[in-house]
Amino acid sequence: MSEKKLVMVVDDDPDLVEAVSMKLESKDFRVAKAYDGQEAMEKIQAEKPALVILDVMMPRKNGWVVCDEIKKDEGLKDISVVMLTAVGDAVPSTSYTHHDGKTTLADDYVPKPIDMGKLMEIVDDHLGS
Amino acid sequence: MSADQDNQQDRQQTQIPDSSPEQESGADKSIRESVEDIFFQPRVLVVDDEQRIRDACQRMLSEEGFSVACTQNGEDGLDMLEQTHFDIILLDLMMTGLSGFDVLSRVKSLHPDTVVIVITGYATIEHSIEAMKKGAFDFLPKPFSPQDLRLVVRKAIEFIRTLQDIATEKSRMRVLINLLSDGVLTTDNQKNVALANPAFLRMIRSTKTNVQGNEAREVVSNSRLLEMIDEAMVQPADSFAEIADEITVDGEDESEATILGARCIPFRDRLQRKLGTVTVLNDITALKKLDQVKSDFVSMVAHEIKGPLNSILMLLNNVQSGVAGELNEKQSEILGRVADRIQSLTSLSSELLDLAKIESGLITQEKEELDLCEMLDNQVALYRDKASAKSIDLDMQQSGQSVPVMGNRTNLEELISNLISNAIRYTPEGGRVRVSAGIDGNYALLEVSDTGYGIPEEEQEHIFQRFYRVKNEKTRFISGTGLGLAIVKSIVDAHKGIIQVDSKPDTGTAFRIYLPTLQEGKA
Repeated sequence: MSEKKLVMVVDDDPDLVEAVSMKLESKDFRVAKAYDGQEAMEKIQAEKPALVILDVMMPRKNGWVVCDEIKKDEGLKDISVVMLTAVGDAVPSTSYTHHDGKTTLADDYVPKPIDMGKLMEIVDDHLGS
Repeated sequence: MSADQDNQQDRQQTQIPDSSPEQESGADKSIRESVEDIFFQPRVLVVDDEQRIRDACQRMLSEEGFSVACTQNGEDGLDMLEQTHFDIILLDLMMTGLSGFDVLSRVKSLHPDTVVIVITGYATIEHSIEAMKKGAFDFLPKPFSPQDLRLVVRKAIEFIRTLQDIATEKSRMRVLINLLSDGVLTTDNQKNVALANPAFLRMIRSTKTNVQGNEAREVVSNSRLLEMIDEAMVQPADSFAEIADEITVDGEDESEATILGARCIPFRDRLQRKLGTVTVLNDITALKKLDQVKSDFVSMVAHEIKGPLNSILMLLNNVQSGVAGELNEKQSEILGRVADRIQSLTSLSSELLDLAKIESGLITQEKEELDLCEMLDNQVALYRDKASAKSIDLDMQQSGQSVPVMGNRTNLEELISNLISNAIRYTPEGGRVRVSAGIDGNYALLEVSDTGYGIPEEEQEHIFQRFYRVKNEKTRFISGTGLGLAIVKSIVDAHKGIIQVDSKPDTGTAFRIYLPTLQEGKA
């Protein structure tokens, strides 16, 4: 097996990042972590992960914007993006509630609360391991 | 007249002031005083060319407490009427100069409130009938006794008093209705405005002030409100239902929109003939805003709890699955219990969120035409596995027809899902759960029945309350939040439906939900 693939986990909840990272590491991925959209963008530029697991509602820069920036950047557009969407349970005053995946460029969507098994399957699918 | 006669006619005595107040009891006195307030001293005009008659009338009526004026011809009589208001005219039909009939016509057209009693010289029935046709209240044939005169005048007074009572009542009602902060609109059977109080006009943002007699649709621009009036009018005579809805009246800009609770009922007479409608509006904007704030708050709290709980659960699952190292049996067991409790907390926060969402926004939520049968089928399919895991026979009874309703898909799915999931959870292994959908009169009927533990009768009224759970030795270990049926009830209410429960301990439970069918489902 070649070099371990790098997966970045982005969420403003450090415990969620930790939980997902732990699982990914147990499955022999390398993991990078970021806790808001801005930080994520900077680390993605620097570390070029193979896949980003990206939360939607985050401070500084939200997930949809981060996703757009990745997919519109020639150097980054091959990175797979898996969005963590909070289906139907968002706070009413925010605009990100439900997303059917048609208007963004993400490669996949996993609803919150996260089904870890499902998320790992999707990661495996995209990274072809 | 003698004192004896007076006492025999107590009731009438209280209506006509006389000169012997000291004989009255306290109660009589107070009635009499209130009568006098309304009707101080009746004024009577006697128009007759016979001196004898004029004198007799004057004397007798004065004794009764009337203020009496007399004249011998019609012209003078009409002049006097111009000067002062008279309540009653005693009018001789056969006079020199202007005839009694001419005076009668003039009085009726110029002073419609004045009651005319004609005195007919030769007791000819023809004259009397003609006078009555022209508007006379009664007639007094000559020769008449004092008793005759008194009776006919008292009858007239009674009549005037009744008219005044009606007028007083009407004006009291008008003042009262105008004072109300709720909007009131009444329409007649032609859907014309019979009454609209200032609050009503203000609430619907009408700039008109005098709308009485206008067509309702000229005054009211809100189409739902007009529809409600239509619906109330077409209700069959043997049914009576209040039509209630919320309507939004747009303001200058969006923030000024007001939300009104509207209730409309048909207004009928004793024989159930339609007289029109009565609509009452009350401004519930502030309530709705408060409700929204409450729901937002609940939503926010639940959301803030749910996120961290899920993260905890994921971390815990990592430990359980051995990602962080091998666990011994005891540790696994403890963590299993912890995970279960956390799982039930997350379910609770999810359901709280659902409830908050349902309570805050159903009315504005989109509704579409849905087939209950199809939805039921889908939900049954989703629960198939859970049912067979408990060896429960989950059975959908096919009626072969579609059951169309107007509803919100997400909500109705949740309703069905909650009922089926409850039925499975509260039915012991080997039991049966049956679901069906059909049409029952004007309603679509959805039924979920089981052969489960049942609900004791004294608990049945509480099961739709939030957090209420039926707990006994059999159901103690069934997990749940106590919100499922509260959610079901909210959804049913928001769809203007009815929910019924029929349950017997150890036999089973049937929930029946009636939703308006599509034809009736505009509301």
